[in-house]
This record gives sequence, C-alpha cells and structure tokens, in this order.
Amino acid sequence: MSEREPTRDELLAMAYADGELAPEERARFEQRLRAEPELAREVSELRRLELLARHAAPPEPLDHEWERLARSSAQRGLWSAGWLFFGAGLLGLAAWGLTCLECAQVSWVPKVLVPLAILGALLLVGAAVRARARTLRYDPYRDVKR
Amino acid sequence: MILTTTECVPGREIRETIGLVRGSTVRAAHAGTDVQAWLKNLVGGEIEEYTKLLAEAREQALDRLEAEARARGADAVVGLHFSSCEIATGAAEFLVYGTAVKLAPRSS
Repeated sequence: MSEREPTRDELLAMAYADGELAPEERARFEQRLRAEPELAREVSELRRLELLARHAAPPEPLDHEWERLARSSAQRGLWSAGWLFFGAGLLGLAAWGLTCLECAQVSWVPKVLVPLAILGALLLVGAAVRARARTLRYDPYRDVKR
Repeated sequence: MILTTTECVPGREIRETIGLVRGSTVRAAHAGTDVQAWLKNLVGGEIEEYTKLLAEAREQALDRLEAEARARGADAVVGLHFSSCEIATGAAEFLVYGTAVKLAPRSS
C-alpha cells in the first residue's frame, strides 16, 4: 500500500466525487475537468471505486459457479473457438461474395457500389469502436455487476 | 445525500421543496454480449450480461439524479421512483425521478 500523501488535486478530486465541494469551488473544478483529461480520469476512477463499494454485497452461490466456468479452459475454449469460426466464416463469406461479384457478368455499378457500401459500413463501425475506446476509461459504470 | 422512496425522511422535517429532479440514461451492450445473451436465451437461466447492463444504467441514472439534486442545493430526494423501458434491442433506458428537498437542521 502506498504511503504517499495525496496531492492537492487528488484531494480536490475526492471531495468533488463525494459532492463535498462548495458550489463556486465545484464550478471551478468542473472547468478544469473539461480542460484536463487526466483529472477527469482520476474523478472517473474514484467514482468507479465508490460504485464498487456501494455494491459490496455478499456474493451469491451462482457467482462462484460463473467464476469457475469463466476460468475453465473447456468453457473458454468453446467460446474462443466459436467466435473464431464464426468470424472467419463471416470474413470468408464476404470475400467470396466480393469475388463472385467481381467475376459476374454484371454492370460496373454493383461492382463499385457494393464494396463501397461495405467499406462505408466498416468505417462507421470503426468510428463507433474508436468513440467507445476513447470514452471507456472515463466510464465508471463498466464494472457494475448487478 | 439522502435518497429515499418514502415521501418523507423519518426523524427529519422537510423545510423546503425544491422540485422534481431526475436522472436518465440509455446504455447498450456490445454486439458480442448480445450474441452471448441470445445464446443463453435459448437455454434459460439468468442472462447476467443484461443484468449487468440494467445495473449499469440504474447506477448512472441514480448518480445523475443525485448530481442534479446537489446542484440545486438539496439535502435529500424523497419519493424516488425507478422506471425502465427498452428503446432498442439490447439497450436499456433507466429513468429515476423524485422530489428534491431541503431538510431542517437536526434538533439536538
């Protein structure tokens, strides 16, 4: 356990997360949160810990079995193999479809538009994944269980 | 901050009613979770992925309600209600609302 004294910013972040700052002080701190991602991350982490403490309920018998299953190599293998085959199948199907389209005796219109639509869809998914990845570390609710 | 579903805070007098406060959120599970949940739907039992999703939404909505109440200078929120509905498949909306109040100081 660290013996380090908390910095002034850490103390401020704790007071903010606990709702103990006076209105003017809170407004000033919120202005800083907008400009300082690291500080925002600190507050998010404190909220995450507070949420975990709020849920310090005794585990249920089913939880032990879920944990055992999650650790079991057979269960993990089944899920991994399932996802791998499913993903590979989807990718293969997409590649096969594009090849068929390329070889087909059709006008250039679908040959251009279909790959364009697929590329567009992939870009949209990429944008959504990027947005989630960027905001994930500020989301204190991701560890809430039930 | 006292949050209660009752209309009053036992042992404390309500000095002032500030008004309605609410917190809401819509959260979604990712596609992989939806697939796993769908598979569990085939065999029955708890779909813990959706239990977690609802719990996340509930806690976020509660925090937003509390933040609004705090910003309006409340000491407590009484008559708390929870409401949930599904906006899109695999997403959960959670709304929490109540009445923000100021409490009289504790009499010694």
